[in-house]
Amino acid sequence: MNDRIILDNVSRFYGEVLGVNRVTLSVPPGITSLVGPNGSGKTTLMNLITGLVRPTRGSIQVLGISPSDPERLFRVCAYATQFDSFPRGMTGFQFVYSYLRLSGMSHDDCERTTAFAIGRVNLGEAAHRKIAGYSKGMRQRIKLAQAIAHDPRVLVLDEPLNGLDPLVRAETIALFREFAAEGRHVIVSSHILHEVDTISDQVILLSNGYVVAEGKIHGVREEMSEHPMQVIIRCTRANVLASRVFEQDHVVEVRLHADGGGLLVKTRDADRFYRALNHLALDGVGIESVAPADDNVNSLYEYLIGGEESTR
Amino acid sequence: MAVYKRTYAAYEGSLTPAWSRFLILPRYSFARLWQSRFLVMFFMACFFYPLGCVGYIYLANNLSVLSSFGVPAGNFIKVEPSLFLYFCWVQAAFTYLLTAFVGPSLVSPDLVNGAMPLYFCRPFSRAEYIAGKMSVLVFLLSLVTWAPGLILFTIQASLAGWEWTKANLWIAGSLFIGLMVWILMLSLLALALSAWVKWKIAAGGLLLGVFFAGAGFGTALNSVMRTSYGSLLNLTEVMFTIWSKLFSWPSDTGISLEASWICVAVVCAVCLWLLVRRVRAFEVVK
Repeated sequence: MNDRIILDNVSRFYGEVLGVNRVTLSVPPGITSLVGPNGSGKTTLMNLITGLVRPTRGSIQVLGISPSDPERLFRVCAYATQFDSFPRGMTGFQFVYSYLRLSGMSHDDCERTTAFAIGRVNLGEAAHRKIAGYSKGMRQRIKLAQAIAHDPRVLVLDEPLNGLDPLVRAETIALFREFAAEGRHVIVSSHILHEVDTISDQVILLSNGYVVAEGKIHGVREEMSEHPMQVIIRCTRANVLASRVFEQDHVVEVRLHADGGGLLVKTRDADRFYRALNHLALDGVGIESVAPADDNVNSLYEYLIGGEESTR
Repeated sequence: MAVYKRTYAAYEGSLTPAWSRFLILPRYSFARLWQSRFLVMFFMACFFYPLGCVGYIYLANNLSVLSSFGVPAGNFIKVEPSLFLYFCWVQAAFTYLLTAFVGPSLVSPDLVNGAMPLYFCRPFSRAEYIAGKMSVLVFLLSLVTWAPGLILFTIQASLAGWEWTKANLWIAGSLFIGLMVWILMLSLLALALSAWVKWKIAAGGLLLGVFFAGAGFGTALNSVMRTSYGSLLNLTEVMFTIWSKLFSWPSDTGISLEASWICVAVVCAVCLWLLVRRVRAFEVVK
């Protein structure tokens, strides 16, 4: 399983403070989002994967390479931190170039790959301007450029979409998708749940240092039987549909929309509900649209972490 | 954003030797340092005394020049080991000020900017980071200490002849060892202070304070405890003890050579420990 990032019962404590605890993961290639509130352990998990922090317990393998072997690990792995980390007085080009030199590339290769990486994040015109004069979005992009410059197979990015305007955000997400399509790992942390939903192949939800859920969003949602799935249906005869739907034993709640043109259904068995809905549609109920209301990261976050947050 | 249709291809070009990568760090430090006019002027001022020494050595080996100006050239002008000991003293004072100016800006900006993870998410270790930052000071201070010192020795050797050189070769070794020990201790002190004190002016002031406060506290300790080991807190006296021994010059500091070496080793070890505590790739959660 050399194409995976594997964490085996990993714990990390900072003295008496918990970073992450008993994390066991096997992350496949693609875009993986780390989601969780502040202090939940997202950055610690990224630091562990990149070897910047050693686990107190457990073991980590990144594509079969131990993070304690930086010479091999950082040939395939790259990291862009959450904070603006720019040595003073550098231009964008110098920034990317100098850190590539630390990776051991020759001068010529560094110049070539730096120019390529900066072009890839569309900062070519600003490459020789000082970073101090960059906007927040440009800073994010130059950080991304230094991360992708040596063509890594594992890209670990802490809050990479913060501060980007919608256009650049879309371009950056397209770049992530392109990386993922090539079979690479793109691990991102984000607070913007809508974006996580849009871009992620899989999510890892963290809370208080523990992994509370991981996998594909839909799969995780299906396993949460204590929270009935919510489905929004827009139809012509909502009251009739409501009465028919409520006859199903797995349906626990039905709410009519105020305009009478739709209803919200809560069901414990989404598959059975959708099958039943097909029959109802055939019986002449004019169904306009059917959409899951809580089959997304936002709901997962609310169900799995929101409760804990509110009880704290 | 330009999207390139391409497949993954890892870098397969040649790699620079791992041992040499720490030398990447000084390049931008030097570029920034030389932008300061004050530093450039002060750096040039550091060579006034070595230039004076060159003149002195020339005259000592060409007494006829003095006689031609009617100056009696007796035994008072001659090249002895003490000339090199004084050279160490004077240049050490210059390097002390130079370090107070340069040192604080080496580590603290990286810590303030949170740049440490950027350095360490490479095949680059903390030891290499410290070596890279230290090399800025070591190179700069070497240029004004043992490098001109050895040039002075070479000039004297070329003027005085092979017999003098053979008999005094140990002076070259003493110059190099004595000044390198000073440079290493000073560099480590400056880096440690830079890592712990974020405000550059405060870090520079603290470096001066370490020496002055240590000297004052050591003198007070000597008076109160009726001992001479309080002088171990005075790093200038510690170094003078070592240099005196290296140049076969009588020392009146009252502390033994062994104690002085141990003191230097302890200071360096403490500085290294302080550096290792701060130079980390991650924030320590309090």
